[in-house]
Amino acid sequence: MRIRRIIFNSILNLRKNVYKNGHKIILFPMSILVLQFCLSFSILPSESGNHFPGYLLSYPITSIQANNYAPEFNLKSDTILIPLKRAGRLFLIEAKIDDQTGNLVFDTGANTLALNSTYFRDHVKSGGAVSNGITGDVGLVEQITAGKIEFSELSYKNIRADLVNLGHIENHRGVKILGLIGFNMIKNLEIIFDPKNSTLKLIRIDKKGERMNKALAEFKSDYSQKIEGNSNILFLQGKVAGKNLNFCFDTAAETNAISSDSNKSILNTLTITRRTTLKGAGSARSEVLFGRMNDFRIGGNPINGMETIITNLDALTEAYNTKTDGMLGYNFLEQGTFCINFVKKQFGIHFTKSEEK
Amino acid sequence: MKIIIRITLLLIGIFNFMNLQAQFNPEKICRVENGQLIFTINLNWSEKEKQELEELFDLDSMLLVKVYSGKTTIGLDNEKWIVKRINSSLVELSKPVSSKSEKSIQLNDLFLVIDKWMNFTGKVNESSVIYGVNDFKIPYAFTYDKTKGQFYLPAFKSATNVYLSGSFNGWSTTQTPMKKVNDGWMIDVNLKPGKYTYKYIVDGKWKQDPNNQLSEADGAGGLNSVLFCSNHLFELEGYHGARKVVVTGNFYNWNTKGIAMNRTTKGWALPIYLRDGTYAYKFIVDYQWMTDPANPSFRKDGDGNLNSFLGIGEPYLFKIEGFTTANKVILTGSFNNWNENELVMNKTKTGWELPYVIAPGNYEYKFIIDGKWKLDTANPFTTGSGEGQNSFIALKANHLFELKNYQYIKDAIITGSFNGWSPNGYRMHKQDGKWIFPIFLQPGKYTYKFILDGTWILDPENILYEQNEYNTNNSVIWIE
Repeated sequence: MRIRRIIFNSILNLRKNVYKNGHKIILFPMSILVLQFCLSFSILPSESGNHFPGYLLSYPITSIQANNYAPEFNLKSDTILIPLKRAGRLFLIEAKIDDQTGNLVFDTGANTLALNSTYFRDHVKSGGAVSNGITGDVGLVEQITAGKIEFSELSYKNIRADLVNLGHIENHRGVKILGLIGFNMIKNLEIIFDPKNSTLKLIRIDKKGERMNKALAEFKSDYSQKIEGNSNILFLQGKVAGKNLNFCFDTAAETNAISSDSNKSILNTLTITRRTTLKGAGSARSEVLFGRMNDFRIGGNPINGMETIITNLDALTEAYNTKTDGMLGYNFLEQGTFCINFVKKQFGIHFTKSEEK
Repeated sequence: MKIIIRITLLLIGIFNFMNLQAQFNPEKICRVENGQLIFTINLNWSEKEKQELEELFDLDSMLLVKVYSGKTTIGLDNEKWIVKRINSSLVELSKPVSSKSEKSIQLNDLFLVIDKWMNFTGKVNESSVIYGVNDFKIPYAFTYDKTKGQFYLPAFKSATNVYLSGSFNGWSTTQTPMKKVNDGWMIDVNLKPGKYTYKYIVDGKWKQDPNNQLSEADGAGGLNSVLFCSNHLFELEGYHGARKVVVTGNFYNWNTKGIAMNRTTKGWALPIYLRDGTYAYKFIVDYQWMTDPANPSFRKDGDGNLNSFLGIGEPYLFKIEGFTTANKVILTGSFNNWNENELVMNKTKTGWELPYVIAPGNYEYKFIIDGKWKLDTANPFTTGSGEGQNSFIALKANHLFELKNYQYIKDAIITGSFNGWSPNGYRMHKQDGKWIFPIFLQPGKYTYKFILDGTWILDPENILYEQNEYNTNNSVIWIE
């Protein structure tokens, strides 16, 4: 039952949606991926913000080549501006992966690169036997190696990726989805994400996280915080009803989410406008509420009226190995421009002022 | 005096009655309080309001029946609901917020729920637009000549790169780089007549076309520029002294405002995009209605007035051989909502025929010969079965489903997302040892399967497939 709960709750996020139907030979593919995340990245803290040790330990197949996430800049420029496409509330990056052209969903809730099995199932498998110690289940997730991944002016060679079914995103959003890309591929660059203008700016930085080109205009943060931990997932400290909550920053979440396990005083502040019970076989069902956050603050900045769903988020907590009280998705992204520097462990928001809106 | 008292009583009565008609405000129905999910329900709500309550909050109709019948505790699906009376008309229905989920849910369900809640607008089908006229600030910002569109952006001279991205290239951010010219940027793109939306990408930044005054919401809080590639030119020679000339017609709902024509050296003109079909129209010259003197085709409307008319697109010739002794043959189909009177066919020496202009697409049809419905026996492609079997035609088909190596199968059907997965959908035809089915598909993704003598199979020739909700697979194609 625990695994089932993991599966359901995980589908609240698109990435988790996707993983749920991960592979036909796996009984509970999502749970496997959840576990894989845990093993890959979070449980084993890695050095200098790069996660190779975790990766290698989680896949005890010695022949697997470590991922090289250091991209090659094709141009001499120190900064690139990627125009993002939109599909519903998703942000897409046009990419070429080996012989396929299509889109990668910019999904900062994804721990690792995941590619769509429709187009990549014939790629060379690079193994991926995963066992775990959390629920005692043993399962298999297929992994492949992509020869070359190119987007904008960046290119990566021999990148290992999970093979997942992303057909549902394609069918519901009408665009060709090659895969999901999170922070892991761009962690050694400074990232400026401007959802309002649909752009992703990547800036070259040195090992200390300082910009190579000092002449670039500084990012002006209205709110900034330290990035905790070494995972590929970014957590933000928000406040609801004066209580501190740990939110995962998820660019592929089409709505915010709050855990239904949250403190009673937190739930009391929400306006509930919709409810659904998703029915499974027999009498099994799961409750999802939808409404607005009336008392949300981040660093003293109130943001009112953001849409949110309210449901069980245990699966995120398990997947990220970090207590996760909620997800900040599309409605949060609408609030401004975001600067993320994993090397310096700095996160900042420049809020779009009302007159700019 | 009695009358005054009666009126007063009546007014009080009406007031009370109106008061009982409880306000139905979805924002104020549900709340969470100390872990309890509480619905405030008015016992005076109408059936319509109760239905809305059910839909908004996914409340079981049986649950509400019990609430309205005065039950105080209700058990349903392993959950216990408590009903508390607040006053004569209000009750509170509550249960603990469920923080557990008991079941893995099909993610398709959740996608649908989120789409509904988020009010996502569906994909706009640009080919369904009937007409359109461009509105550029400068004449050369976009020019179109039959197949080639030229985009000219006289701005951003110091930019490093400019791309054109729009519905014509799948909104690609990389496929269509513009060329630098003296005053800015330019690119030629092959385009068919129709409506397109686009933006420029200047050094990575999305920009609306500054010279295009037509735009529409881009679904992300901004605007896309809109243009039309014209396939017809309305022209009126002379009338140089007129102050205003407009054209109106059935494509414009005969709106008397009309669409303004432009002054030319010869007179007046208007390049326009019109979807394939047949149109009636008139010019209005300084409020005087007139037919098009250059167009010899006229048609009377229902009131005996003459209108000019024109056909856009190539007509398809529907034909049926024989039945030369029949009195009347009607063509009817999905293209005219199965109207049983409209399309009267013309008698020929050997049978009946009717040229008819319809937009590219998939259509079902039948002939009605002296009242009897008949398939087009000359056309091997059909849909449905038994009484529901119709002839099928794909006009300007752009895809051919093919199935080789199954010569010994008796019945091959193609079904998929393009026809709602109808199990007796499109019946394939065996020709030269293979089964074929031509079809017209709008650009986009389609999933499909073949049904061979009742057995569902993937397309053996297609390497693209994805897992479906039944844990089997569907073949996948993308139409560019």
